[in-house]
Amino acid sequence: MKQRIRIGVDVGGTFTDFVVVDEARDLIYTGKRLTSADDPSVAITEGVERLLGEADIAAKTVHSIVHGTTLVTNTIIERTGAKVGLIASDGFRDSLEMGKETRYDLYDLFLEAPPTLVPRNLRRTVAERIGPDGAVLMPFDADGFRTAARGLVEEDKVDALAVCFMHAYRNPEHERQAKKILVEEFGAVPATISSEVAPEIREYERTSTACANAYVQPRMLNYLARLESKLAEMGVSGTLYVMLSGGGITTVRSAQAFPIRLIESGPAAGAMAASYYSGLTGESNLISFDMGGTTAKMCLIDGGQPDRKHDFEAGRVRRFQKGSGLPLKVSVVDMIEIGAGGGSIAQVDGMGLLKVGPRSAGSNPGPVCYGLGGVEPAVTDADLYLGYLNPDYFLGGEMRLDMATVERAIAEKLAEPLGLSTLEAAVGIHDIVNENMAAATRMHLAEKGRDPRRYGMIAFGGAGPVHAYRLAQLLKLKRLIVPLGAGVTSALGFLVAAPAIDYVRSYVSRLEQVEWNHLNTLFAEMEQEATALLVEAGARPEEITLTRTADMRHVGQGFEIPVPVPNGALEASSLSALRDGFFAAYRTLFERTVEEVPIEAMSWRLAAAAPVPNIKLHFGGQPIGSGAARKGSRQVYFSETGFAPCDVYDRYALKPGDTLSGPAVIEERESTTVVGPGASATVDRYLNLLIDLPD
Amino acid sequence: MSQPGVREAESAPDDFDPVTLEILWSRLISIADESAAALLRTSFSTIVRESNDFGTVLMDAKGDSLSENTGGIPSFSGILPRTLKHFLAKFPIETWKPGDCVITNDPWLATGHLPDITVAMPIFHKGVLVGFSGSIAHSPDIGGSLWSADCRELFEEGLRIPPIKFLKEGEPNADVLEMILGNVRLPEQVLGDLNAQVTANQVCGRRLIEFLEDTELADLTGLSRTLQQRAETAMRRAIEEVPDGVYRAALDADGFDEDETHIECAVTVAGTNLSIDYAGTSKQIDRGLNTVMNYTYAYSAYPIKCALDPQTPRNEGSYRPVTVTAPEGCILNPRYPAPCNARQLTGHLLAGVLYKALADAIPGRVIADSGSAPSMRAVFSGGDGHGNRFSQILFASGGVGAAAHKDGLSTTAFPTNSGAGSIEAFESIAPLIVWKKEFRTDSGGAGEYRGGLGQECEIENRSDEPLQLSLLSDRWRHPASGVLGGKPGATSEISFSDGTIPHQKSRTTIPPGMRLRMRFAGGGGYGDPRARDPEMLRGDLENGYVSAEAAERDYKS
Repeated sequence: MKQRIRIGVDVGGTFTDFVVVDEARDLIYTGKRLTSADDPSVAITEGVERLLGEADIAAKTVHSIVHGTTLVTNTIIERTGAKVGLIASDGFRDSLEMGKETRYDLYDLFLEAPPTLVPRNLRRTVAERIGPDGAVLMPFDADGFRTAARGLVEEDKVDALAVCFMHAYRNPEHERQAKKILVEEFGAVPATISSEVAPEIREYERTSTACANAYVQPRMLNYLARLESKLAEMGVSGTLYVMLSGGGITTVRSAQAFPIRLIESGPAAGAMAASYYSGLTGESNLISFDMGGTTAKMCLIDGGQPDRKHDFEAGRVRRFQKGSGLPLKVSVVDMIEIGAGGGSIAQVDGMGLLKVGPRSAGSNPGPVCYGLGGVEPAVTDADLYLGYLNPDYFLGGEMRLDMATVERAIAEKLAEPLGLSTLEAAVGIHDIVNENMAAATRMHLAEKGRDPRRYGMIAFGGAGPVHAYRLAQLLKLKRLIVPLGAGVTSALGFLVAAPAIDYVRSYVSRLEQVEWNHLNTLFAEMEQEATALLVEAGARPEEITLTRTADMRHVGQGFEIPVPVPNGALEASSLSALRDGFFAAYRTLFERTVEEVPIEAMSWRLAAAAPVPNIKLHFGGQPIGSGAARKGSRQVYFSETGFAPCDVYDRYALKPGDTLSGPAVIEERESTTVVGPGASATVDRYLNLLIDLPD
Repeated sequence: MSQPGVREAESAPDDFDPVTLEILWSRLISIADESAAALLRTSFSTIVRESNDFGTVLMDAKGDSLSENTGGIPSFSGILPRTLKHFLAKFPIETWKPGDCVITNDPWLATGHLPDITVAMPIFHKGVLVGFSGSIAHSPDIGGSLWSADCRELFEEGLRIPPIKFLKEGEPNADVLEMILGNVRLPEQVLGDLNAQVTANQVCGRRLIEFLEDTELADLTGLSRTLQQRAETAMRRAIEEVPDGVYRAALDADGFDEDETHIECAVTVAGTNLSIDYAGTSKQIDRGLNTVMNYTYAYSAYPIKCALDPQTPRNEGSYRPVTVTAPEGCILNPRYPAPCNARQLTGHLLAGVLYKALADAIPGRVIADSGSAPSMRAVFSGGDGHGNRFSQILFASGGVGAAAHKDGLSTTAFPTNSGAGSIEAFESIAPLIVWKKEFRTDSGGAGEYRGGLGQECEIENRSDEPLQLSLLSDRWRHPASGVLGGKPGATSEISFSDGTIPHQKSRTTIPPGMRLRMRFAGGGGYGDPRARDPEMLRGDLENGYVSAEAAERDYKS
């Protein structure tokens, strides 16, 4: 493979992170700038320019820039998107607002429904109807549609339009006619049709996805165009890619058409990085654990690949409450996020029990120890009190942590009202946040029918390596991997992702009643589109991998499970492979099968991917393995020993092949790795810490 | 120093520190939730899935509840321990062996109608029975009359299974199984769901054993007592905040033909105790609207918990301070063998009447009566035209009542939590086309805070043969009333496209090409409509939630 210079850019809420890989010189450079919230492209172009200068790289030699953004998700959370008009089938004006008709909190009589993206006065309907088999039950009223669109554009002055007709996933003809009218007569207004953005059965979710796409589209069109032209002005001639929520990368053109697919663009990178380390270390089944200031994210890496799913909930009224947000039909890395981070606040609840999170002190004022005005003890405060963090080496010494204030805060706010010692309260914070994360992980594994004992763990994010050891213990895992540079691990994900895209078509049928020609046509269409897109993104047709799956269930059930589907032409003789695949998947999930009940498929999916770039990991500009690894010793608390002397190591001084044994703490600029008593750790040739937990 | 909490727990089993207790309690709730996840994902029953009509409970060795799943129907979890006590009366505790599994669907012993099957299994740790796992789920079929309101006796409504061993030491009781499967329409699915419940119970049991191993607790005795005490204290503290007194209210519903349902309630708050008495309520009737005492209790305790103490996790202790009585032989406490298949049509009304009674005492913590209570259902069945038989329920909701500071939720389930499935999915498995499913303008009761809107649905039989239709509806004559000056929501209405009106609780047929129109009731309003913020009324008009005429009529004069 040609040696290339590639740049990864992760635009986060606070910081924009940069990683440059120069394959010819075998170097990695990293950088960080404050995000320019109004126009993220400003910080990106400035940062890229500066990093190229530092690394002595000419702009025109850059092969590609891969970019992840929180712009889409923030637009939805903050409800700052476009004024959208929706045109639906007659009789279905309110699907978007009625939603699932359930309460996401069974006991809250006063709960807030998630505010709809398109208010009722901007929702119109048109006479037309397709049946579940794709047959036209009522012809499309083009004139009526024109009138509705004109009203929305000219009178209501909407910035974007969405169209969702019943069963358009099965027969998109009416939506296509509608789109033609919109393009020809209202071309200046971006339009989303549901059969293009989410050709899947279930009208509420599909309408919601189409509206959310329209909602973020005007902003993303501008933003990506501006970024491209600014980079061109700088002389960067390489291709700009954007990371999709499922962990693949795609072209700007495709991102502009379906910006909603970028909703989890940032978090996906962390999972891709974890899967990269999985390949590097040969640990093919990992729980990826990323703990930052506000949340912890867990994702399963199986056989080296992150788990994916095909729906996501955005813009929740309550961030960690399932059902309180807007459902989206997009492919995402299957990740759980819970309110457990360094900033998670500990408090005494109404029953006199200690609770930790989900409320977070964030970065401002932050935990008590930051000395920025925080008064409520948080997880980081307990970590400091228990000796895991070094008050003089937080963020490499940039921020000095204040132990005395922390001790007082824990004593006054928690220990006294709970009738505990300060130590017991601090241990309580640590134990409860770890238990919360363990419970969420166990539940995630249980829902997917997986056995925790098959997994190791990889930890990153500022607080990840501090808590990973105890979390791994609670989950009874044997192996923990902590890569070097917890702060850049996520950004590295942009450089190890491949161009990839997922397609879906819903076609509901019992397996024995499938019309094979129709199904083959669906797959042929998807494969053609996918190949064209990936070729445009720089892949050679012969190196593209195509993976088919179908969402199937027993007739009568409400949950579909993903089942592998063979490639190539399908025919009646494929039936047994499909059935066997279903039963195998069913057994994995539920430990039993019910062979007598017929099987039906709902949706058929294609995942297409180009090969993963093969990068090496050498951190440029960082002196590795020099100086004394052991910095000294301090008192650190472990449940097995209580406070006891513990070796402290300098992560940057550890060399490949070095070994150490717990209890130990290993400090680096943006995180600290905690290793418990009885564990042993070695440094591999990529400078990862491989920790083996005692039995 | 070892983990401070656990050490203390071992030395003084009934005195846990607040950190340990938080961790242990969370884990016990996760155990019930994991069990629920297993049940939900493997279940065939639409009602389990769409209505969350199921529950999983972890119980201690006495049969008292320790933790309940977070997402299921709250009422079920309160009932399960009562059912288990009946099991223990028939099968004394010393006779239970690992792998045993007892089931029943007896309405009086369990959850009030035959389709709900309760399954309980013992959990053994180191040879000692330490607790029970329990689950309740609505079976895909139970024989008899499908889901309908018009049977005259319990025996018409389906197969009754007395408490009986479904598994003996892990081995299926083949005779019982054959008997059950020989009496239901969808034997594979019924068996599939029974197995799903067994799986859920096994998950619960396995997780509890891991829990005991991790925490090194020998059994649950001390922990159980502490957790139940905490929940009880929280509930008592919440009751104590309500001024002492006797609060009364009454409510009428359509009932069956000339037998209207009248519900009287008296809520007595005395210190930390709350008792509810339904004396004066209609007598039981020979139609399926009777709700057995367990169900009456559950649908009384749930709205009380929502209003008074929504936050605390639930277990046996939460229910101790709340007692419910109803005269034997009344529609809320019927004698065997009264029919009770559509007991939700009565039970769902209780939240409304209780809130009406408490509105003067705690006006900020209750909501007006809901159009979504009782839930209105249409059950369609027949051939799908491709040789497959189907049975589909249209799930949809009316509007919830308004609160002291907030409009009611439109088209949202309450007090049940039945979701509306996708219409596209509905049409894909049944020869039915839904031409309309939209908000009903002006259906929300006027008020300073408006009741939630109901909806209108129009469903056509596209098959070339007649389909069976069972209607389960109420509120045709009695709307959801408003509170403190709020107006009632719109009543519900059902008609055929030829202008005929079906019986509201009947089994009938729907001929090819005929359309059924269903208008779901709106929620009651809260407070004087003239006090409504003009800005909010303007929004209502702009969005068509309220028409110009209704604004003039209901809000201006």
